[in-house]
Amino acid sequence: MTSVSTSAFYERANRDIGALRSRAEDLQAAVGRGQRLARASDDPVAAARLRRLTRTDQFVAIDTTNAARAMSDLQLTDAALGSFAGYVTRIKELATQAANGTLTASQRAGIGAEVQQLQGELVRLANSRDSAGHALFGGETAGAAYTLDAAGNAIYAGTTSAGDLPLGDGQSVTRGLTGPEFLNFAGTDLFAVTKALADALTGASADPAQAARDALSPLDTGLEAITTAQTVVGTRMNWIDLNLERATRLSEMRSDEEAEVAGTDIAATVTELQEVMTVLEASQASFARLASLSLFDMIR
Amino acid sequence: MASDLLQIGASGARAARAALDVTAQNISNASTEGYVRRSIRLAEVAMSGGYGRLGDISLSGVRIDGVTRNADLFRQSEVRRTGSDSARASAELQGLENTEAAIEQANIFPSITAFETALQRLSADPVDPSLRAAVLEDARTMARTFNIGAQALASVGDGLHFEAADGVEQVNLLAQELGRVNLRLARAVDATSDQTQLLDQRDMLLQRLAGQVDVSTTIAADNTVQVRIGGSGGPVLVSGGTVGSFASATAANGTLSFTVDGSPVTLNAGSLAGKAQALVTLDDTRTRLDAVADALIATVNAVQTAGAALDGSAGQPLFSGSGAAGITLALTSGSQIATAPAGSGVGSRDPTNLDALKAALTGNDISGQMDGLLFSVSSGVASRRTTAKAIDSIAASARIALEQQSGVDLDQEAVDLVRFQQAFQASGKVMQVASTLFDTLLAIR
Repeated sequence: MTSVSTSAFYERANRDIGALRSRAEDLQAAVGRGQRLARASDDPVAAARLRRLTRTDQFVAIDTTNAARAMSDLQLTDAALGSFAGYVTRIKELATQAANGTLTASQRAGIGAEVQQLQGELVRLANSRDSAGHALFGGETAGAAYTLDAAGNAIYAGTTSAGDLPLGDGQSVTRGLTGPEFLNFAGTDLFAVTKALADALTGASADPAQAARDALSPLDTGLEAITTAQTVVGTRMNWIDLNLERATRLSEMRSDEEAEVAGTDIAATVTELQEVMTVLEASQASFARLASLSLFDMIR
Repeated sequence: MASDLLQIGASGARAARAALDVTAQNISNASTEGYVRRSIRLAEVAMSGGYGRLGDISLSGVRIDGVTRNADLFRQSEVRRTGSDSARASAELQGLENTEAAIEQANIFPSITAFETALQRLSADPVDPSLRAAVLEDARTMARTFNIGAQALASVGDGLHFEAADGVEQVNLLAQELGRVNLRLARAVDATSDQTQLLDQRDMLLQRLAGQVDVSTTIAADNTVQVRIGGSGGPVLVSGGTVGSFASATAANGTLSFTVDGSPVTLNAGSLAGKAQALVTLDDTRTRLDAVADALIATVNAVQTAGAALDGSAGQPLFSGSGAAGITLALTSGSQIATAPAGSGVGSRDPTNLDALKAALTGNDISGQMDGLLFSVSSGVASRRTTAKAIDSIAASARIALEQQSGVDLDQEAVDLVRFQQAFQASGKVMQVASTLFDTLLAIR
């Protein structure tokens, strides 16, 4: 005869109801947390993926701020290049005026003085600072980009390259321009050309009009180099924009993946919770009914 | 010899009384742990007729033959075996879960990522003092998370050792108790309530012992039990009244080994075996965490000493000490971080060495090593959780099967109560009839 032992009945009921309760609590916790995983061992693979995704997110956040920084430096470079072009155009105008053979020596000297002033402006402009206070056109130098020697010649004191800034996923951007990259051309540089012009106009040359005429062609080349540099800077800014857009798209994909890997599917979880609760209520009710069923109550 | 009706009635009443007593005992012990339902065994008392009296009726009623214990030896040993397995699995799982929590909640992986991202941020402007300070602080946080992880692992180990020491004490207490029960069982009279009570005690002690270590039992004819631990070939812990002494020893790496009277024993089940297994995993985790910390120290210091600090001096090691518990930040100022290559001037913005540091951290895959460690610990927990659940449900069904068979069913006891009450009343009626018959005889004049 199989007897239903009283303690076995209680033990079984205890186990069944306990299992249902703990399942319900797990589901409730998953809804409350918004995350399926309470600890890594709940799903080790998902937890590892989540760790990787979070790590990538953090790197992308840094790359984005770095890109914004490079962007602002490039904007400063762009503005400075605009000023360069303005100054060079003005010097060209002055050279064209000075090339006129009808001018007197004192008029030429006056033009020469203005060119000298403008040359000084060019050197100061080449020594402008970026958002962090470093030389904008000095590459990675710690000091100023250009220094003036005793004769007043501008000497480049920076490094050969501006250095690259990583934009994430192995992409990088050159963060700026060095002075020589757009100021040096055809074996000379803009400062030397303008200084020679100013010197010639203020009396160093026997034929200042010819010197002014001779200066026109290198000035043209210099202006070209500056506008080319502006195009380069514009392209780099576009490249950064492109990378930022890509980063945004990728981070959207990552959030989707995070939600998929570890997020709680609210609808499914709540439905399951409801189901578990229904079963739990039913088993509690049936347990209460069965437990109150004792033969001792019947025998009088 | 003629029968004595009064005597027969009295013996019936006595038997019914005894049966009622046993039923009452069953009811009152319905929820007592280890109580096995008893029933009374009755035997008829009758004499065969002697020479020349073959036709005689010689009946003398009923006698109580003994108290039966409805225990099934097979089910009991199943409960012990599966319970022992389940205790091992749950002890190991608990130890591993604590290990997992210790290493995960120390947040070592996020702090490594934070350090690497701080280096990435520094590459935007390697001479920025605030970015350098941020790198230094992130390095400090990283070193501390390693320290916290090592400490947490050590305290998990301490907890496990404490519990294991308590377990060993329990085993010795239970073994001594079993020895005493064995001695009393050897003297107990068969099929008495005294013996059944001792048997209950014996089985309960065995079950508790099985929760701690894996036992293999041999039950002798006099119901005394011989207990071997660590499987049927293991050393004898209890034999009759002789009790061995069980002890544990801790190795230098924190793992446990066990002996009985000095001879080594390998435990395969029971919570002590689970704790010993958890300690092995813990030691493995600690070694791997130390390896990650050492790799980090070596990687960072090698690159750091190959570069130049902000003031142009040669780079100094970033970390000192060794292992997860020993790693400490050795630098005091952010300007000491060597971002520039060796030989650079003061305030150099050359990020060559910083790039080399980032590349070395990626190349030696420090975060990947940590990730691997976290993954192997958590997947170990996950697989053991599945096993533990399965083993637990097997143990529970074995326990329910035993209770089903040996436990008290109150409904059945209620029926018995009524049945034996009626038997008692009927025996009383028999005595009344005997009295009436006697009166009838006396009334003859």
